[in-house]
Order: sequence, then C-alpha cells, then structure tokens
Amino acid sequence: MPAGTQARCERCEHVVFTNKAHSIDRALAASLAGIVLLIVSLWLPFLALSRSGFESQISVLDAVSALWLSDMRWLAIFSLGFIVLLPLVRLSFIAWVLWQLRLDKPARPAMRWAFRWAEFLEPWAMAEIFMVGVVVSLVKISSIAALTVGLAFWSLLALIAVTTLVSVVLCRDTVWQRLTNSSPTAVQPMAGQ
Amino acid sequence: MANTDGTHVNHDGNLGVSALQAGLAPCLACGTLHKWPTDASCRRCGGVVRSRKRFSLQRTWAFLFVGILAYIPANILPIMDTRSFLGNTSDTILTGVAALLADGSYFVAIIVFVASVCIPVIKFVVIGGLALSLQFHWAMSESTRQRLHVITEFIGRWSMIDVFVVAVLAALIQLGAVIKVVPGPGINWFAVSVVFTMLSATSLDARLIWDGRSDGA
Repeated sequence: MPAGTQARCERCEHVVFTNKAHSIDRALAASLAGIVLLIVSLWLPFLALSRSGFESQISVLDAVSALWLSDMRWLAIFSLGFIVLLPLVRLSFIAWVLWQLRLDKPARPAMRWAFRWAEFLEPWAMAEIFMVGVVVSLVKISSIAALTVGLAFWSLLALIAVTTLVSVVLCRDTVWQRLTNSSPTAVQPMAGQ
Repeated sequence: MANTDGTHVNHDGNLGVSALQAGLAPCLACGTLHKWPTDASCRRCGGVVRSRKRFSLQRTWAFLFVGILAYIPANILPIMDTRSFLGNTSDTILTGVAALLADGSYFVAIIVFVASVCIPVIKFVVIGGLALSLQFHWAMSESTRQRLHVITEFIGRWSMIDVFVVAVLAALIQLGAVIKVVPGPGINWFAVSVVFTMLSATSLDARLIWDGRSDGA
C-alpha cells in the first residue's frame, strides 16, 4: 500500500487500513509534547477566583481532592484516572513504543503489550472532556465572582490539541507491522512502496 | 446487501467472504487474523482472539440496565449543594441547566443539556434498540445499524462533562462563609450511569449486525 493512502471496508466504509506518512516521527514528537504538557500542568496554577476579599486558587489535582474530601472517594479515584493517570499512561506507552521503533530496537512482547493497552485505554482518557467541563464551570461562576485562568489551563488546552494530533498522525497498522518484525535489521515494511 | 447464504455483495457486484466463513478470526486488539476456532491468544500482541465477542448481547443488556437504573437517582438526587450566607440551594442536573438558562448562558446550557440528558437518553435508546434488533432478528438496514453503533461508541464519554463541572466548582468555590459548593450524591450515580453505558456500548459486537443472527457462534 502506498504511503498516505487508506483502504475502506466494502460493507460499511469504515477505514480498515492506513499507511500514513512519517507516522512514527510525528506521533512520537506529539506524544512526548503531551507528556510534558500534562506533567507541567499539574504544578502550575490552574484557576483562581476572588470575590469580596476572599480568594481561592486551585490546581488540577484540587478538583479531584474536592471530591475526595466530600467523601466521594470512588468518584475521586476514577476522576484522577480519567483526567490525569490514564492520559499520562497512554501517552507514555505510545511514546515508549514509538521511541523503541524509532531507534530500530527489536520488537519485544512488552512493547506489544504497551501498545495494545494504549489503544484499549483511548476512550477512558478524558482530559479533553474535563476541559469542556472546566469551561462550563467558568461560565457558571463568571456571574458571581472574578476569575483568572492560570498557565495550567492553557497547557491543558494545548494537551488536547497534541493528543488529537497523536490520534490523527499515529498509524496503528504501521506500528503493528513494525512490532511484528522482531529482527532489528528488518526492512521497514512500508518503505519505498 | 446480504444474500440468503450470508455472503455479501460489494459495490462492484463481487462476492465478498467474511472472516468467519473463511475460518478466520481477528485479534480484537491488533487485528491479526488467526485460524478459527482457537483457544490461543493473539500470537502478535497477546490480545483476545474472537470471531464474535463472547456473551455480547447478555453483557450489553446487563451493563445497559445498570446504566439506565443509575440514571434515575442521578436525575432525582442533587448533584451539587450551594451553601452561602443567603441560604442553601440544591441543584439537580435539570435545575442546573435551568439556572444556566436563567443566567442567559444559552450556549453553555445547551452543551450541558446535550451532554447530561440528550446523549445518555439517546444512548439508552440506540443501544437498547440495536440489542433488541439483534435479539429478535428485526429487519433493519445493516449500514444504518453500523452507523448507530459507531456513534454510540464515540459520543458516550462526553456525558462525563457534568461530573467534572461539579468537581471543579466544588474545588474552586470555597470562599469560607460567603459561598461554598459541595458535591451531591446524584453525581455519583450519574458517573456510574455513564461508565456502565460506555461498557455496554463496547460489549456490543458490531459484527453481529452483519450476521443476521444473534447467537454469534
């Protein structure tokens, strides 16, 4: 299959096979950027609010601990997973697998395991949904108090763009083919076609 | 379109053969084809190899019922208590939308209403309808059902918006005696409903749509 083309199912027209150009380089760059943005946004100020002399400033993790402190422990744990842990784990798995492939390392079972889980976790990584929730909250609050958005807000917005970029440029078929060839000297299956 | 023997005709009029007819089944994770039936896991990635997901319809129904049941307290119980010196107010999902409308934030009100009410209800109806049509062999266009299935898998997670709204508001609005927001029990039930409906959508094996029968084999 030539680079930059795709094949579709004859029944339902779902895309069944793709060969995207420069997939590994681009997806690796985007996933590394995503990891940096996510980790950085945990430590930067996220949102601040002030009204009649009272002030309150939160980080991303405070949103989760607010649930924990209200005795919603399970919801807090799941939210932490949906917002922070699963996106981080998923991007790390993808970055690690692509990094190994980029260096022409032999495919190992652990890499296949990591890539399989990265795909499985995709619907459960909800950083972008969290950000829509944040915007809705801002609109709700704007009528009662003065609001400031911090750097973490912008870095999480950038994270959404970068995560979307990963799923757009990542060619899972190419990755799976590379993961099938265990020899480090194996010719890239798509090269030159 | 499906022929009586279960084979399919593509746009050029050529006969296509399904993997099941060819004695093959794909790995559900990476798509590698294997001889079917097999007990082994995928030789490439170690994932599960299935011609059709096991107990697909039973699982779909079970998860869907939990999702629908949890959606009832999610709407009746408050998702958020606002405690201020002016008094306490409790918001359910619907009164939260109404408050946004009263503020004149129509666009955001629509987002919340779509995410918290339209999407869950549409998912219940669509997944329930797909499962019923497979269970009772209703005659329905396969491609329509396929598209409905793809949509349900894609939109379900967006319902979580309201959960995150409550988490952010509860963290941010802690201004001592002036005003304070506390999450209500409804939001727990709502999260349960969303998660189980997502599980229900992933349990439904889209390939059953094209079998024209529900036992899967």
